[in-house]
Amino acid sequence: MTIIQFLQILHDSEFGTSVRESLYLFPLLEGIHLIGLALSLGLIIATDLRLIGVFLKQVPVNEVLHNFRPYVLVGFLITFVTGIILLWAEGPRIWEIPVFPLKLALIVVAGFNALWFELKFGRTVQVWGQQAQFPAGAKLAGWVSLISWSGVVILGRLIPYLEATQSRF
Amino acid sequence: MTTEAFFNELQTNQVSLYISQLNAFAGAVAQLFHILGFLLILTAVLIVNLRLIGFGLRKQPIPYLAKVTNPLILAGLVLVAISGLFILLPSASLYYPNPAFWLKFYLLAAVLVVHFTITRLVTRKENPKPVVAISAATLSLTLWFGVAFAGRAIGFLN
Repeated sequence: MTIIQFLQILHDSEFGTSVRESLYLFPLLEGIHLIGLALSLGLIIATDLRLIGVFLKQVPVNEVLHNFRPYVLVGFLITFVTGIILLWAEGPRIWEIPVFPLKLALIVVAGFNALWFELKFGRTVQVWGQQAQFPAGAKLAGWVSLISWSGVVILGRLIPYLEATQSRF
Repeated sequence: MTTEAFFNELQTNQVSLYISQLNAFAGAVAQLFHILGFLLILTAVLIVNLRLIGFGLRKQPIPYLAKVTNPLILAGLVLVAISGLFILLPSASLYYPNPAFWLKFYLLAAVLVVHFTITRLVTRKENPKPVVAISAATLSLTLWFGVAFAGRAIGFLN
């Protein structure tokens, strides 16, 4: 079964149909998708900029990591769940917009980057966080996160834009 | 002149006509800068308001966080204003009848007033009264998220 066939089955299901055809639910889910993103993304950017060394320089890096983490995770969970429901309802159409698979790929990159950072640097942050120069790997993780999440947002914004442009012509 | 006539005028002046002749790529770039500006504002707003509620960077002084996030807000506002004009001008009469568009601007006006008065005053103090700090933060967050929500809704109502 191809991805598009699988998405078509979800699309045709009772749940997918009722979400898609609901006048308020679909825009509401889009709105919650955006708000969840807003909650996690602002703090991810702040964390990345701290790792790179350009923002919140007076704040110990472990404080930034630990104090923002719960909100980043909750925001991500909200965005992830609403994103799955939106895809459930509109999967085949969204999948055909060329930037969508690329957006998913960048989310995977961002995810592996966060995991790698956590395993390699997460537990020793108390030690390296005190040093004037952070390890190159920690800085690199900050850059990768910043670039990949920016890409996710840019591509995500292009989805409704390309949809509208396609339907206009 | 009525507001509607003004919006029609906005759309048909030379600058707007020039912008609308640019290709779809220019439109997409304006959208991206609009989002980027909003992200800068958002980062700043979250850091300060979470701290006011007693979450996030709890160990850091409120005035310090307000100070370091201020440039982000100002840069973000400049970006959204310029890119917003690029988005609005070529299609002003399309936005005029859109209720979400007006809601967004009422909320934006409200949040700017709140930001430059209440938030400014509250974040000057090392230890504002918790009830005041939490109320100010809740108001600010609700309004900012409202702007984003209404902004997204514009596309659904067009």
